[in-house]
Amino acid sequence: MALPHIFEASWPDPAKLGADAKSAAILLNEAKETFASHLKVRSDEINFLGEPNLGFHLGISGLLGPASRLVYSNIDRMEVFAIADSLSDKSLIRQLQVSNTGQADFSELSANDVAVIQLCNRETGTIQSQVNLNCQSIFVDATASGTRISLPENWSTALWDSTSWAGPGGLGILAVSKKANWKNPLPHLDGRITPGPASLPLIVASALAIDSWVADEKNLAEKIAAINLEIRSFISKNIPDSDLAPHGADHLLSVSFLYVNAEQLVTALADKGFAVDSGSACNATNMQPSHVLAALGLLTQGNIRLTIHHATTFDDVTTFLETLKSTVEELRG
Amino acid sequence: MSNSHQLDQLDCLGKRCPLPVIELARKISEQEIGYKVILLSDDPASAPDLVAWARMTGNSVEVLSQSSFEITKLANN
Repeated sequence: MALPHIFEASWPDPAKLGADAKSAAILLNEAKETFASHLKVRSDEINFLGEPNLGFHLGISGLLGPASRLVYSNIDRMEVFAIADSLSDKSLIRQLQVSNTGQADFSELSANDVAVIQLCNRETGTIQSQVNLNCQSIFVDATASGTRISLPENWSTALWDSTSWAGPGGLGILAVSKKANWKNPLPHLDGRITPGPASLPLIVASALAIDSWVADEKNLAEKIAAINLEIRSFISKNIPDSDLAPHGADHLLSVSFLYVNAEQLVTALADKGFAVDSGSACNATNMQPSHVLAALGLLTQGNIRLTIHHATTFDDVTTFLETLKSTVEELRG
Repeated sequence: MSNSHQLDQLDCLGKRCPLPVIELARKISEQEIGYKVILLSDDPASAPDLVAWARMTGNSVEVLSQSSFEITKLANN
């Protein structure tokens, strides 16, 4: 279905009466079923969010009781840090230091804890391997992993971002398990889980995107893994004084170059047609280096992070790597 | 047997990353193995980056305070 048609069919409020509203409600239900089948949750556990990052607050704060302890890692998203920071009893906060491969040790959990598991780190691709935890409530940050990594069995709440399956931005999916002890942390008068309503056209477009993304991923995962290895091997062999983050998810890669100003590197690469992001301080609005790189003991200066898309080709990568090598050499002078 | 008062100092206060690490590398490049220098830097990236630099280049760094670091040259790069 093309986007103009989606807008045409999904303008009515699915909650209202009438034929148009009824067909909009059917679209919404079909979308829920689609997401449920790919994300392996029940369709009545699915909720849509117009602001994906609001899902951290809803998903985590909704699980916190007055005496529960929040356990998370030092490579979690800043949204999680902000929730911890807002808790008045600091004895109920436990920040775990990850190993240099990004592994958090959740072995000392108690039953009353609320644990935050980041399946995949969006900056470095680090994958958390210990996910079946011994506590009552688990929030799963699946915003970077999308459909690539399945939920741990005893999840309570989980958050995805539509962009992780190349869907439209500005749409998050928050699943609240029927078994979870969850209470809406926002002011509310009824049983709703999200303030809503999220944009139905975006929901429908994202459902189409996840269908085609999952189908493509089956054929393209191998290529993406090979591209990741190719980039790693080229950088190790040809660009001295580079610090590659450990290999995690195949579609993400982070590397830092000694003696290089990241802002200049990102700008120079953008001028040559390559869009990359950076975790270096000079590229951050708060002028702080990435807390993820620092937590992993990785170099924070001269950092770039790459996302390998389905459409990325080996030819693109070859051109990119030659450009990267010469640009790093130029900037080092 | 030296203490930090007698060591060379490299003042990079107010300089942003990656300048402190670049100036440090330049400073020690002409020195002998075992050379020590105190680097002063208040850039928030310096603490993690000096540790990473030491790991990558085979040198040593001791964090003395939030903005001072004792560097020992252990390798020729």
